[in-house]
Amino acid sequence: MGERVTFWYGCNVLRHGDIIHACLDILRAIGFEASPVGGPDYCCGTVKDANQTTAGGMATRTVGKLNDRGARVVAWCPSCHSHMHVFMDKAHDRHFDMSYMVELVHANRDKLAPLLKNRVPMRVMLHKHVGFNELVPVNRMVPEILSLIPGVEVVDAGYAAPGYMCASFAGMPAALQDMHTDTVRAAKALGAEALVTTFHQCFREMVGLEAAGVMPVHNYIQLIAQSMGLPYEDEYKAWKRAPDEAMAMIGPERIAKVGVEFYERAILPELKKRPTLSK
Amino acid sequence: MSTRPVIGQRLKEFQQSEIDRILGACTKCGKCFEVCPMARYSKAPPTDGKAVVPGVLAVLRGEQGTPEALGWIAVCTRSGSCVPACPENVDPKMMMRLARMTALGGRGQPKQIDMKEDRDYFDRVRAFAKLQLTDEELKEWT
Repeated sequence: MGERVTFWYGCNVLRHGDIIHACLDILRAIGFEASPVGGPDYCCGTVKDANQTTAGGMATRTVGKLNDRGARVVAWCPSCHSHMHVFMDKAHDRHFDMSYMVELVHANRDKLAPLLKNRVPMRVMLHKHVGFNELVPVNRMVPEILSLIPGVEVVDAGYAAPGYMCASFAGMPAALQDMHTDTVRAAKALGAEALVTTFHQCFREMVGLEAAGVMPVHNYIQLIAQSMGLPYEDEYKAWKRAPDEAMAMIGPERIAKVGVEFYERAILPELKKRPTLSK
Repeated sequence: MSTRPVIGQRLKEFQQSEIDRILGACTKCGKCFEVCPMARYSKAPPTDGKAVVPGVLAVLRGEQGTPEALGWIAVCTRSGSCVPACPENVDPKMMMRLARMTALGGRGQPKQIDMKEDRDYFDRVRAFAKLQLTDEELKEWT
């Protein structure tokens, strides 16, 4: 039996059930006994900059709950991973080791490579950021993982966007527009057929480029899953590509779980949102 | 007298110790501002680093920040380009994060910058969880 690990996936990746499920399959396939936790009850508190009493309480609670699990924690979310190292484990003693998903997969490339059986013929450019890369060198590791996939060719323009992920640009539309424009321009100049993101936050923002017909966008886990033959469908992308039909795709049973009013007020506008590019 | 721990107390003590360290170490040379890829998005009038950094330190002391400092604090996205540029190993990324928390009113001082609050943030996360996970997964994973 492999090492028991807690897969701490975070909050916002819950938009992307295919990524969570694929991560679990990948972890199990490379020899880890992974059990997942996440959502608001395991929030790291990084979104509470405007209330450090709440942030401290969330950090104490979440570190305590992860301590109780008695296993190494594998973080998916860069915000959670970073916040744990910078603030959370100062709020409450941490009794577990931590790895970031990218570094664990990278360290187990020898186990992953034989599982990548399907060709994924695609010339891709990794959408990179500065910031988190100093904690975990994802800008080097993700292309090295992608290069294991038969058919994938990774091109690199040397461009890394400012900020540690796209979501950190919330409320700065001009900066977000510049970043998307520079990224697309670099990818097209290199003849890339698709953009690949490391983080789900960037995928959420940039998949709007695909919905707008600019170019396809994937998360690196989705390409691994495709090559392994994992069956998960990227529903978020399907909803994003056809927001007016998303309610029908989701179906009445699931819509009833969130409520029509909440869906129309808080989810549909996100599905309709499209990035804008500079001329 | 109550012996219950104060919520978030250890985190606040850590933050205060970092603020004390930063205030003691920073020489206000302004190199962190000069290399920042986000400074050009500040809504404050353009200026140089030596003029901006004292305003950031004022925020950390709980004082009113200058418009230039608050403009820079508002656009920090934690790029970290400032960290290797600092000749005193101050960790300007930490300086800016703590200044942001303080300017947002998160550490008990008056709010000096606004942040659009997403009141549906956690409800939206819970809603997507209901759309993407089975009932059993919801019960066991979240």
